[in-house]
Amino acid sequence: MTLNGAIAVAFIMIALAIAGPGPRGFAVLLVLAAGFAIVEVRGATWTALRRAAVVVVPLAAFMGFIWVGIVGRAPAEIAADVPGTRAAALIHVLSICLRLFFVVTVIQLAVLRFAHLTPLQFIRALALPVTAKRLLVLTLSLIETLRHAIDRAHIALIAAGTLTRRFSSRNVIHSWRLVQTVWLSAVTIALGRMRDKWPIENTLNLLERAVEGGNEKIFAGDDKIWLPVSLGAAVVILVADVFPGPS
Amino acid sequence: MARRELFSGLNFSGRSAAMLALLRDGSFARECFYIGPYAEAALSGLSATIADEIEIYRAKPASLGHTAFAPIDFAPLARREPQTLSGGEQVLLALHCFSLSSYAALGIDTALEQLDRANRDAALDYLDPRKDFAGNVALIDNRLPPPQVGWHTIDLPAGATDLDCDPRRVVADLARQIAPAIAVSDLGFRYARGRQIFQDVSLSLEGGNAYRLAGPNGAGKTTLLKLLVGVIAPSGGKLTLGGARYWPWRHGNRAIALATQNPDHQWCGATLADDLARRRSAFARHARVGSLAKGRLAKLAQLLGAPSLDAHLYELPLAARKRLSWLWPLAGALPWVMLDEPSIGQDVNTRSRLAAAIVRLTALGYGVLFVTHDDDFADRIPHRVLAIGDATIRMN
Repeated sequence: MTLNGAIAVAFIMIALAIAGPGPRGFAVLLVLAAGFAIVEVRGATWTALRRAAVVVVPLAAFMGFIWVGIVGRAPAEIAADVPGTRAAALIHVLSICLRLFFVVTVIQLAVLRFAHLTPLQFIRALALPVTAKRLLVLTLSLIETLRHAIDRAHIALIAAGTLTRRFSSRNVIHSWRLVQTVWLSAVTIALGRMRDKWPIENTLNLLERAVEGGNEKIFAGDDKIWLPVSLGAAVVILVADVFPGPS
Repeated sequence: MARRELFSGLNFSGRSAAMLALLRDGSFARECFYIGPYAEAALSGLSATIADEIEIYRAKPASLGHTAFAPIDFAPLARREPQTLSGGEQVLLALHCFSLSSYAALGIDTALEQLDRANRDAALDYLDPRKDFAGNVALIDNRLPPPQVGWHTIDLPAGATDLDCDPRRVVADLARQIAPAIAVSDLGFRYARGRQIFQDVSLSLEGGNAYRLAGPNGAGKTTLLKLLVGVIAPSGGKLTLGGARYWPWRHGNRAIALATQNPDHQWCGATLADDLARRRSAFARHARVGSLAKGRLAKLAQLLGAPSLDAHLYELPLAARKRLSWLWPLAGALPWVMLDEPSIGQDVNTRSRLAAAIVRLTALGYGVLFVTHDDDFADRIPHRVLAIGDATIRMN
């Protein structure tokens, strides 16, 4: 399977999940995702599920607190101006969070399928214009720069006695200093590169060569199975939702 | 004919600017590889892994046929982020990338000073004009006095902006101090998904002594400083300060004034005044910090070449920032002073004055722990060696 194929399949699954299928459609979607996970991702599926849980569980707890605990009604009930129930609010929260969980899991599955690639190889394998790939590398570089700046700021402020490594009230009080120090560090790191290193080496021109190629065939191998299967599933879901059958 | 240009002169003589002008001059090479003094100007900053950093520079096709320079094997480190390498390892990675690239020329601004003896010798051997690397090289290195065989020296006179720096005068008026002993027992540490850096390390550091942390690039010298200051937490073992349990990673640093290898890793303000005010506020309960009024710190800063406490730190030259990074440790605020590669980028005069200041600190009872690959600098300071290697630390 190619990276482009995995992204296309993931895109179809996410689009279908966002479209809000009914229970039968969602069941088809789950079967498709499970099949993709078992065949293509295997053991790393647990990692995908764990990461999705890390993202979604806190959000679900927060939404549950607001909708079930405080509001006590589902949005549809509020719109219809009926009294409503906490059970309806809970179903509303679950339906949103399950879909979000599904979306995050699918993204993770697609990424983990190609976990053996380095970020540069990953970007190179995408079927995108070179300019877009360069933009992706630079965006990634910006994220790395910020992470580096956060490391630097931590060292500075902990050594200076301003922060501690563990959570503390002192850290909360001085958090704005951390933000300021991270910002100063990020700017100086970026300036250090852009003033001397990049102009002398013409480093950015190297990127073009580094990211081009790698996608001679946009789709190949197992893509020819997964794409028709995904599109077929999409048709089944749409038909199931448009023609729900006798209730 | 390959050119070898060695820029010689004191700090602020304009060596870096002269070298950059040469590298930008088309007659030296159409495009040059550049290794600046610190990581931000040594690595491309475009890669999230070491494998990607190498891939970006790898020539396609490998036309020039440089001999590959690989004193350490980067293959097992391929998935690591370049920033997680030690300073010296980053320089080695940059040199490795250059050796695989199609650049015909290389400029190095003091970066080789971060290398341990074996790696430095290997790097200088690689650049040796009598060997098979045929490209042009421009080099600034404070520990490579001219003349050098095969190198053309560009000697720059002392600059008009030479900032007088005398660390000896900063410590001249300090009162005696009794630094509490630091004892480490059964210390263990490993980075996430990394190798074991320390295992069951035990050692005792007494005030009134200077200790030199020695070991190859990447052995864990800076990591030990980070552990003692509380930036990272050990996986096991305990620390005591003056006989009492000490958890800097939980409760914060209480005893150590640290000057980092890259001075820009230690500023906590945009100006020196901001930085010092925050330090004084954080350590306000320490008796000696209370005596460090802003006016006194301003005078001490002047002795290190700072025109004013209100100068924007990042507008000062790197060598000046490095000197100012010593201000807090040398001001005597805290009983332990830890200096990570303090002599990098500093000319011979400043190095010898700094060494004298460290000697004075230990005579006053302060404890000093320093990291350096500069044997000449270390030899000026009576010290004991803490040799790091194979996840242990041995005191020689």
